[in-house]
Amino acid sequence: MKKLTALLLAVLMMAALLPSLVQAEPVKLTMGSWRSDDAEQAKGWLAKYKELTGVEIVFEPTQSAQYNATLRLQLDNGTGPDLMYARSYAVGEELYEAGFFMDVSDVPGVKENFPASALDGWQAKDGKIFAVPVSAVSHVVYYNVDIFEKHGLKVPETFEDFLALCQELKDKGEQPLANGIADNWDILECVYLGMLPNYVGGVDERVKYESGEKKMNDETFVKSLEDYAKLAKFLPEGFESMGNSDMPAMLALGRAAMFIDGSWTAGALLGEDYKDLNWGAFAIPAPEGNKAGMSFHTDWGMAGNTATKHPEEVKAFLAWVASPEGAEIISKAQPAGFFPMINAEIKLEEQHANDILALNEGKILDSRFVWAKLLDMYTPMVEQLNAIAKGETTPEAAAEVFAAEQAKILDK
Amino acid sequence: MSVKQKERKGRSLKIYNMHIPSHILMVLWVLVAVFPVYLLIINSFKGRMAIYSNPFGLPTEWTAQNYLNVIQGGNFFQYFLNSIIVVVVSLFMILLLGSLAGYGLAHWRGKIGRGVYFFFVMGMMLPIKIATIRLLELMKIFDLFNSLWSLFFVYIAMGLPIAVFILTEFVHGLPKDLYEAAYIDGAHRSKIYYSVVLPLIKPALATVGIYNLVPIWNDLWFPLIFITQEDKKTVLLAVTRLQGQYATDWPRVFALLTLSALPVILLYLSMSKQFIAGLTAGAVKG
Amino acid sequence: MQPTLSKSHPRRSRLEPGGGYWIWYVLPALIMYCLFMAYPMLDSVRLSLYEGTTGARNFVGLANYVRLFTDPEVSARFWGAFFNTWVFFAYHMLLQNVLGMLFAVVLTNRTMRGRRFYQTIIFIPCTIAVMVTGYLFKLVLNPQFAGPTLRSMGLGALVKPWLGDEKTALHVISLVSVWQWVGIPTMMFVAGLQNISEDLLEAADIAGANSWQTFWYIKFPLLLPVIGMIAILTFVSNFNAFDIVYAMATPDGAPNYSTDLIGSLFYRYGVAGKHPIGIPEPGVGAAISTAIFAMLLVGVIPTLRATQGKE
Repeated sequence: MKKLTALLLAVLMMAALLPSLVQAEPVKLTMGSWRSDDAEQAKGWLAKYKELTGVEIVFEPTQSAQYNATLRLQLDNGTGPDLMYARSYAVGEELYEAGFFMDVSDVPGVKENFPASALDGWQAKDGKIFAVPVSAVSHVVYYNVDIFEKHGLKVPETFEDFLALCQELKDKGEQPLANGIADNWDILECVYLGMLPNYVGGVDERVKYESGEKKMNDETFVKSLEDYAKLAKFLPEGFESMGNSDMPAMLALGRAAMFIDGSWTAGALLGEDYKDLNWGAFAIPAPEGNKAGMSFHTDWGMAGNTATKHPEEVKAFLAWVASPEGAEIISKAQPAGFFPMINAEIKLEEQHANDILALNEGKILDSRFVWAKLLDMYTPMVEQLNAIAKGETTPEAAAEVFAAEQAKILDK
Repeated sequence: MSVKQKERKGRSLKIYNMHIPSHILMVLWVLVAVFPVYLLIINSFKGRMAIYSNPFGLPTEWTAQNYLNVIQGGNFFQYFLNSIIVVVVSLFMILLLGSLAGYGLAHWRGKIGRGVYFFFVMGMMLPIKIATIRLLELMKIFDLFNSLWSLFFVYIAMGLPIAVFILTEFVHGLPKDLYEAAYIDGAHRSKIYYSVVLPLIKPALATVGIYNLVPIWNDLWFPLIFITQEDKKTVLLAVTRLQGQYATDWPRVFALLTLSALPVILLYLSMSKQFIAGLTAGAVKG
Repeated sequence: MQPTLSKSHPRRSRLEPGGGYWIWYVLPALIMYCLFMAYPMLDSVRLSLYEGTTGARNFVGLANYVRLFTDPEVSARFWGAFFNTWVFFAYHMLLQNVLGMLFAVVLTNRTMRGRRFYQTIIFIPCTIAVMVTGYLFKLVLNPQFAGPTLRSMGLGALVKPWLGDEKTALHVISLVSVWQWVGIPTMMFVAGLQNISEDLLEAADIAGANSWQTFWYIKFPLLLPVIGMIAILTFVSNFNAFDIVYAMATPDGAPNYSTDLIGSLFYRYGVAGKHPIGIPEPGVGAAISTAIFAMLLVGVIPTLRATQGKE
């Protein structure tokens, strides 16, 4: 009898949880994102959109690490969100090819308001645009201003100065860099690919490697790897187990003077945890005689779901994202370090963010070297960079591996 | 045995019963087991920088801010309620269905019975994630997105292979005289299940319950896929909100997960009573 | 988990009139299991014969298996992860389960005080989410953050990048996992030991057996079915383990794949796709699982035969 009542209770409890049937309501769209960090900000700018149009959009972020996997499953199953953050190049393009992302080429503003370099990240092989460009990121050196002032040090102008600066810090008992290799991505994406535009140059040169006209064991690459190897000498003790999120802590605790990371980290450094840290940022300097470049990477765009029940509203929203007014509202709500790509004067409110954006001036800008066509280089590159840092291989040998991998990709 | 010998044995028995080496062993392990838990708790009372500057030490400044943030931010109690409902309903059903099946399969020893048993056991050998695509389709067909029902079904199905595996062997190991006696008394099989088998397999039920408790409570994958609605989220899914793309709010994660461990410990205590009770009451005679 | 079966019934037990009736007891579980587990899983195994990720899939026969075993890159990863998983398994089998048995023997001693307390403490690590254990251990194993404290305690020799070194990372991760989960076999052994007849133990005591003899000649043989069960559960769960690697060493099994397990390999290929592309190959993932499934069967069937279910 007791068991029976328990069962009854369970059944009742379960019945209470049944989804209540939803009646017709005003249009409500859902938005998928990997930026769970920005949930509050997103609610802010989506609320502004609602004020303007009456369309409600619910922000439903997924943990970043799981975003690709879960989004794909949901799209495949026809349960994906109406709108979603789209990664640039191959990752986004694959979802467009599979028929999940709308073609947004004809959405008003897309073709008119963005530079070719921004659209490039979300342009499929057939020439169609599959997402409205929103934010770009850059890769810079953060430094502890107090440590620099204590030793009377200056921000370096050339890569040679940078190495000398590291040596000087080391001689004075400071740990120059906080970077590590434990996470298997930042050493490539932020450090090496951040350095690379200083050696390779911009998109005009990059495409020569993508076509095979230039080999990745040429002088340019060997030089870049040699410089990387010299820099790697200044990584901290135990860099093998130092992860990306450990670096700002090292800077704030005064245990390291600098670290190389993405502009997005400015947002974290402006937070409550780092309020006592006096920090600045400078561009990864080019070696003597090279034209300075900067990795200014197309980070995220906004895509529409082809299977949405409200295509009109989705397109209207995308047009707003592609308009100067919409872009301004979105950009201002972004955490520091995410920069608008639209051709419009948008003044960011945060001084640090403006400073980092200003580092782009006069430099050749390009997306991360491997993203457009050579993404299969990613893993071999990480492996070689890790091996160089650990002293297990030489820059020359690593360049040979690069060239071999490049040849493999071109053969496909 | 002479009286003298008996006396000597009595004295040494007293010392023997103090179990000094056993206590030394257990205390050593308690230290090992507790140390990271100590780290979790003390660090949940610190700010981020204090964690990095000395992860081992007591906080120089105790702050309950992490806990306050957790409790005030989001639907904290809703997440816990959801997690508890999911765990309790799933475990109850796993134990009910599993023990019935275990009872059946322990007696159904023919070729087909063994085949069915093995079919269940096979379910332990594949990663459940492999089934995600089809499970999503099923949930779509049954319209169970953003409903805790989706989690019940998956977790019950997920727990059954282990439940059937353990409970079948356990029931099979029970002395048959027990049934025979009941049967001669004219008891029906369902009565035997309820009044003879169930009480005897309580320790095994507790084992199965505890074995499934932790993975269900701490599962992230299925809530991540089935649940997007705020009021249906589980505790672990709520944790992911604190994990950003590049930086995770670890102090707050510590606080949330310290709180999240409490219901699990309580559930564990209530279930483990089953076999501790068995211990003192005297075991089944074989 | 009483293994001694009564064999004294010459006639067929009247409780066993054949399969027909028993199916009604099994059916509810069977339906649930078939619908929400067996069908989705077996159907996904079928995926190992297809390629493509989303939308249209192409039948490719055994190509995924051929790739798994002959493509130099994929097969190197597969065998690497396979070997690592055995190391991981060895730690759990030889350390976790032996410790679990030792603890259980101590904890089932009726005259010992504080058993419940000890057992609860042993279980507490199980209740902590793996992402947190992973992060905590990463923190205390990091030379930069734990180094100063350790050095001040004269433990400078312990300041090493344990998780960054290919030679030590897998061992450290295995030990952390053993630490976390030892409560589970302990609990199962406790449940098994308490079912050993008290008369038997008293008889042994009267016969003058010391505790080692009692353990080795009485408890251990009677525990064999439980040992078999725990061995199987350890085996299958280790071959699907993945969280701890994800939390402590990235899904790539860093450094240099030295901590890559079958579970993380499957996750990378079958579910998430490799960073940063993130395009999974469910066909290859399914092929990995199916191959491992076949190997697990080879390991599990004899263990089942040897330790339980004897008629």
